[in-house]
Amino acid sequence: MDKVMSNKWIIALYVLPALLFIIAIVYVPIVLTGYYGLHEWNGIGSMTFIGLENYSAVLQDKDFWSSAGHSLILAVFSTLSLVLYLAVALVLSSKIKGSNVLRKIYLIPMLLSSVAIAQLWMKIYHPTNGIINTILEALGFTNTPEWLANPSIVLYALIVPIIWQYAGFYILIYYAALKNIPSSLEEAATIDGANAFQIAYKIKLPLAMEVIKVTIVLALVGSLKYFDLIYVMTNGGPNGASEVMASYMYRIAFKSYDFGYASAIGFFLLIICLVVTWIVRKLTATKEQIQYS
Amino acid sequence: MMQGTIPIKHKKTSQYNNSIISKIGFGLLYVVLAGVAVFQLFPLVWLMFFSLKNNQEIFNMSPLALPTNPKWENYAKVWNSGNIDLYFLNSVWITIAATAITILVASLVTFAITRMKWKGSSLVLGLFMVAMMIPVHSTLIPLFNLFSKAHLIDHPLSLIASYVAFNMPITIMILLGFYYTLPKEVEEAAVIDGCSVHKIFFRIVFPMTSSVLATTGIINIIYNWNEFIFVNTFISSDKYKTLTVGIQNFIGQYTTDWGAIGATLMISILPILIAFLFLSDKIVEGIAAGSVKG
Amino acid sequence: MYKNKKMLVLLTLCFTLLVAGCGSNSSNKGNSSADGGSEAGAEKVTINFMHLWPEGISAGQNKIVNEIITEYQAEHTNVTIKTEVLENEQYKNKLKVLSASNKLPDVGVTWAAGFMQPYVEGNLLAPIEELLDGSLKDQFVAGTTEAYSMNDHTYALPLEFNIAPIYYNKDIFEQYSLEIPVTYEEFQNVVKVLVDNGVTPIALGNKDRWTGSLWYMYLADRIAGQETLANAIAGSGSFSDAGLVQAATEVQKLVDANAFNKGFNGLSNDEGKSEFVNEKAAMYLMGTWELPNFTTNEDYSQEFRDKVGFFKFPVFDGGSGNINGWVGGPGVGLFVAENSKVKDESKAFVEYFVQKWGERAVTGAGVIPATKVDTSTLELPALYIDLFNEMSKASSITLFADVQMEADDAEVHLKQIQALFGKANTPEQFAQEHDTAISAGQ
Repeated sequence: MDKVMSNKWIIALYVLPALLFIIAIVYVPIVLTGYYGLHEWNGIGSMTFIGLENYSAVLQDKDFWSSAGHSLILAVFSTLSLVLYLAVALVLSSKIKGSNVLRKIYLIPMLLSSVAIAQLWMKIYHPTNGIINTILEALGFTNTPEWLANPSIVLYALIVPIIWQYAGFYILIYYAALKNIPSSLEEAATIDGANAFQIAYKIKLPLAMEVIKVTIVLALVGSLKYFDLIYVMTNGGPNGASEVMASYMYRIAFKSYDFGYASAIGFFLLIICLVVTWIVRKLTATKEQIQYS
Repeated sequence: MMQGTIPIKHKKTSQYNNSIISKIGFGLLYVVLAGVAVFQLFPLVWLMFFSLKNNQEIFNMSPLALPTNPKWENYAKVWNSGNIDLYFLNSVWITIAATAITILVASLVTFAITRMKWKGSSLVLGLFMVAMMIPVHSTLIPLFNLFSKAHLIDHPLSLIASYVAFNMPITIMILLGFYYTLPKEVEEAAVIDGCSVHKIFFRIVFPMTSSVLATTGIINIIYNWNEFIFVNTFISSDKYKTLTVGIQNFIGQYTTDWGAIGATLMISILPILIAFLFLSDKIVEGIAAGSVKG
Repeated sequence: MYKNKKMLVLLTLCFTLLVAGCGSNSSNKGNSSADGGSEAGAEKVTINFMHLWPEGISAGQNKIVNEIITEYQAEHTNVTIKTEVLENEQYKNKLKVLSASNKLPDVGVTWAAGFMQPYVEGNLLAPIEELLDGSLKDQFVAGTTEAYSMNDHTYALPLEFNIAPIYYNKDIFEQYSLEIPVTYEEFQNVVKVLVDNGVTPIALGNKDRWTGSLWYMYLADRIAGQETLANAIAGSGSFSDAGLVQAATEVQKLVDANAFNKGFNGLSNDEGKSEFVNEKAAMYLMGTWELPNFTTNEDYSQEFRDKVGFFKFPVFDGGSGNINGWVGGPGVGLFVAENSKVKDESKAFVEYFVQKWGERAVTGAGVIPATKVDTSTLELPALYIDLFNEMSKASSITLFADVQMEADDAEVHLKQIQALFGKANTPEQFAQEHDTAISAGQ
């Protein structure tokens, strides 16, 4: 067994294609980006080497750290909402009638591009004729919130559509994971008198644990580098109240034309992702899977 | 960690007892489920309405309101402008090619990492995980340089390669969770029977993962279909552009034709809707196929 | 670990081979423009031209562009012009990526002053002032080409010329017996009357931020005067000048008076504009590029279009600005890339293009070109004629702040504008942040 499954040539054959792709297309550029970060460069003229100046400037940049804070808040909410997605997936994967149709309907929003989702939610949040404020006014509220213009609520107003946007993605993964559990296990437990909650908690969740751990990492990393809806719906505003790391980096690179500095920000974004992921993997590590942490 | 083969018994066991309380509980559950379903269907209906309005109606009417005079001409506008049929074909083949390559290559590497024994496996896995954390925008300029040195600018290969590389990490991560739960006994038996590694992978493991393959397939298709940053940056000839540039056709320097954009989005959502409905069933079928093999 | 290293070496090798392989396989496409060179006129050349007028939304402009190209190709049979069209934001991003690799198109569209500056400093744009002495001599409206010149060279030729009037709804004004305000005091009164009657005085979508900047720029021009503002932006003066601080204060006073529609800081310009178009708001400060929408565009109802008038930004009592000072400026212009392989052919094309564009822009696309237009021979809606007349009377044009400033300063300005309108900073902080940013850039 071991001999067959540790054949070096086969391993190389299986691993190299994927490695080639990411090294050529992700790692080589990112190393170059790190190198740009050592320079003062507007992306157009010549580069001036300035050592670690950009990197140390990021450390003192309060706009960057406030955007990092916003990204972390988004990451926390995205991770917490996994519980919700999992619950929906548990219901959909159980043998209730119509689950097949329901599953399809539930996942439809994930097909929409960010352009469409942003437009939809801008209509929902519109301060005068938006859906929410229309309802609030019908209920007799007078001073209805300016959802996307009020700096103290805008970030949370944006988190809602983001969580909604990704619901389909995670429900789909959980659904597949739960469906992957042999139904015989569930049937055996039913015979032993277990109810639906016990089956979910004692059998399904432990068996889906590996997948759940993966989704935690996906949710964290995905939200730390999140960009799309925020950029379209508020452009990071008003005055930076909804700026996240990726939108800040984009602004510095493509609006302020400071590519060197933007590269340094990208580097910090990567470090923050690494640290957060490392902490979370340590927290969720169990004996049998420490090997690949 | 999990038994692969548990004898299937009592197929007809009814799962839930028929007490009144549980009936009410189920009734409530269905009300909630149906409510959520309406909520999830709403965006598609909204987009349909949206695509039949002009800017005035879009901005002044309630998002739920039907357009007074459905602007079917938005669709005509979209369909007759530019090379939409060409973009469409490009979108289809580039999406399919990139998705197929990603899934095959990612499966191979996931198999090697989780099922085969070698020293660098955790390091390689780490490389893929880190790659997932890299924001697209910070690679654009160096990537353009690289492709232009390789004479791949304005060539569809630059798109396919970028899509494969950037979706690879997330695909591997999703596959990983599933590969860990696959029973090891399967391959052990196969090895004893004298199967080669290729056979184990292609004949046994790959088919067993069909449900997660369908899942990652859906995710990859959606990502590739909606991607526009790489298309805009790397492609300049009309003959290689994809559907997402269709949207740009209606964004002006000072104003935007939202109704036409809505129509473009409606047209472009149909193919992935079909792909999704088809693949979504595969998730369920996958189990049956897998359990037969197991 | 040792094995891994070996593997990495192997990988790098593979990658190099891959790249090399691709290189030799794919023919030298894209270099076709180079083949012609600039030696003989008869040789085949391809000019790559990148612009931002897609057929869908800018049908008028797109048609003119294609007509000009067809005609040019007919007259110059050895020239092929290959176009690439991107929308505004994507266009800017692509230009940036292309210039980082020194691969600008032979001819492209650029904005003036601050936007163009890094490209000029990076030696990416060819000086084309010689074109101003040819067939285009004295063709441009005074002051428009200056925004494209730096260090005694002209790097692009403008295609558009815009100024920003305050559009207003004549019906609403009539209903509340309001007169066109000439002084700022009268303007404040108009705002007050409208607010008291439950009408939103001003439509504004300030998510886009340059929209709010227009208001500040006008107030700064009227109170502190054009020169003070220009000096502050250039760094030789200061935003802490009493008049400029007062302009910022006046912005916040307008906000306090509820002059703008609700939630403006979270609304796009399109959403803001719709408040004016659906007649919930009485006034809208915007560039002349809106003229087609308020005159000939059938998507807007005839009743509405008939109600739209415009007036000049009122004068401030005791301020240094006068009523004929405008905020505006040339919009986009055409550049020729410095390292284009077909520079001479590109220059000839630009000269031809600007000429023909000037003849057709108003009638074909409703765009006011930067070249002089003989309005007497054209049949134009009254709104156009009136604005053309105003333009000829203009005493000064202050360039839009975000175009005028260097990119990073413009970002600070726009962010501060949103904060000012959202009352997240004080006028003094607003001034301070501007001075810090501008002096840091010097």
